[in-house]
Amino acid sequence: MFGRISGIARNTFREAIRDKVLLILLVFAIVVMGSAKVIQPLALGEESKVIKDLGLGAITFFCVLIAVLVGGRLVYKEMEKRTIYIMLAKPVRRWEFILGKYLGLMAVLFVSMLIMTAGFYIILLVSGIPASAYLLWSLLMTAFELAILTAVAILFSSFVPPIASAVFTFAVYFIGHLTRDLRLLAAMSPSAVVKGISEFLYYVLPNLSNFNIKGEVVHDVLLNPQALALSALYALVYTATLLLISVAIFRRKDF
Amino acid sequence: MKRVQALSDLELDVGKGETFGFVGPNGAGKTTFIKILIGLTSPTSGEVRVLGKSPRDAQVKTKIGFLPESPYFYEYLTPSEFLHLSARLSGIPGQDVEVRVRYLLKLVRMEDAAHAQMRGFSRGMLQRIGIAQALVNDPELVILDEPMGGLDPVGRKELRDIIIGLRERGKTVFFSTHILSDVEMICDRVGIVIRGRLVNTGRLSEILTEEVESVEITVKGLTGKFRKVLEKVTQQSIRSGDSLFLTVRNEEEVERVMAIVREARAKISALVPRRKTLEDYFMARIREAERK
Repeated sequence: MFGRISGIARNTFREAIRDKVLLILLVFAIVVMGSAKVIQPLALGEESKVIKDLGLGAITFFCVLIAVLVGGRLVYKEMEKRTIYIMLAKPVRRWEFILGKYLGLMAVLFVSMLIMTAGFYIILLVSGIPASAYLLWSLLMTAFELAILTAVAILFSSFVPPIASAVFTFAVYFIGHLTRDLRLLAAMSPSAVVKGISEFLYYVLPNLSNFNIKGEVVHDVLLNPQALALSALYALVYTATLLLISVAIFRRKDF
Repeated sequence: MKRVQALSDLELDVGKGETFGFVGPNGAGKTTFIKILIGLTSPTSGEVRVLGKSPRDAQVKTKIGFLPESPYFYEYLTPSEFLHLSARLSGIPGQDVEVRVRYLLKLVRMEDAAHAQMRGFSRGMLQRIGIAQALVNDPELVILDEPMGGLDPVGRKELRDIIIGLRERGKTVFFSTHILSDVEMICDRVGIVIRGRLVNTGRLSEILTEEVESVEITVKGLTGKFRKVLEKVTQQSIRSGDSLFLTVRNEEEVERVMAIVREARAKISALVPRRKTLEDYFMARIREAERK
């Protein structure tokens, strides 16, 4: 079982790293982080915070982009190219296939994040900004956010084409950061329909704003460990649920 | 989406150690049937047992090898990497993988391209890799969907030899094709499927009688008068240079042609008895199905 899951995960990883898209995104991410040096004069003495904020933001943004673009075609491409026929004719259970794909993409994101983080810290060092490890807390929370988002991408990828899947996953990402507003909307709207829909979305979509602690770490605000642990647990439960739904859909599928 | 009934009343048993040819025109439902055998698609009704179990059973799949029609693989992988992956997914112990992969690459003659990315491989090359991955677990049952597709004459001969080799080792081979000569050469039994229905199944020797259907005679050096006589007594005649190709139905007609040729002092350069081929049989069944 582990051999098969890791075989599929390794293959997914290999596919992504041999794809030019990933390389382009990584190079672009480092360029964006480096560009903070150019806008430094505009920062009015706040350059260290601007560079940190932009760096962490860029890492998150590009990781989300990788999850959405690579994840969105992960399963669908296998069906379209019919490579799935060969995979499922082997003694691979369908859930092993989905889990392998998921873990493969998570490994891609982990390595990408590592590379971008290394680039980020080099930029901090070059700029003479003290490179505090405190910033890593923000990236850890981003990793949990990506765990959810990758599962969303895989779920969509198992039944809609890549572009639709990318659009839907992005939509979940954006709305996921606005869930607090959704609740507000539900509370304030006089219309029962709007109330119903906002409440439904609030409960169904992931609450991703909990994972954004960039402001806190950049401004050296003390973090609440209990809240972070709760967010991490939330990510794990939410991800597991999404993967279970993906597997349920995938198991019923006829090719 | 339009729903199509691809298969109906398809009852078929394939015995252990048999090489079974599943024959039918394009769109007859061969691939759909094979997808059901592999567990990629579920039948809306009916039952399928592969090696005595459900085709979705992972245990069954350890004993099956499958080659899909016009296979396509991960183009960013090399054949060697792909076969390693296949071996791993098939549960082959780590220490045996390398030996197995090398053996398969040699079997399908892909050693030279073993470490090139499959991007840009020709159909024939992909077909060879497909055959190699189907045999990676030394399966008891090999299911091949149009295995000859994309192969050149040399490749087809090599694949026939591979299939014959599998049969000699007691493996069961089930393959679909519309190339009838391959079936005649290597199959023990055939099933003919037309429009999703199995119209006949049996041993080739039962389907095709040994009876001579017609005799083809080539005559050389005929003069005009005798040629006209011959053209009248035979079923079919084609002129080419000073040769005349005749088709006659039975021995009596052969005798008559020979008498005329002797009288004309011409020569018979060839005399070929034609037995009923699978193609004749196949075409007759298709015509029958169309009439219904």
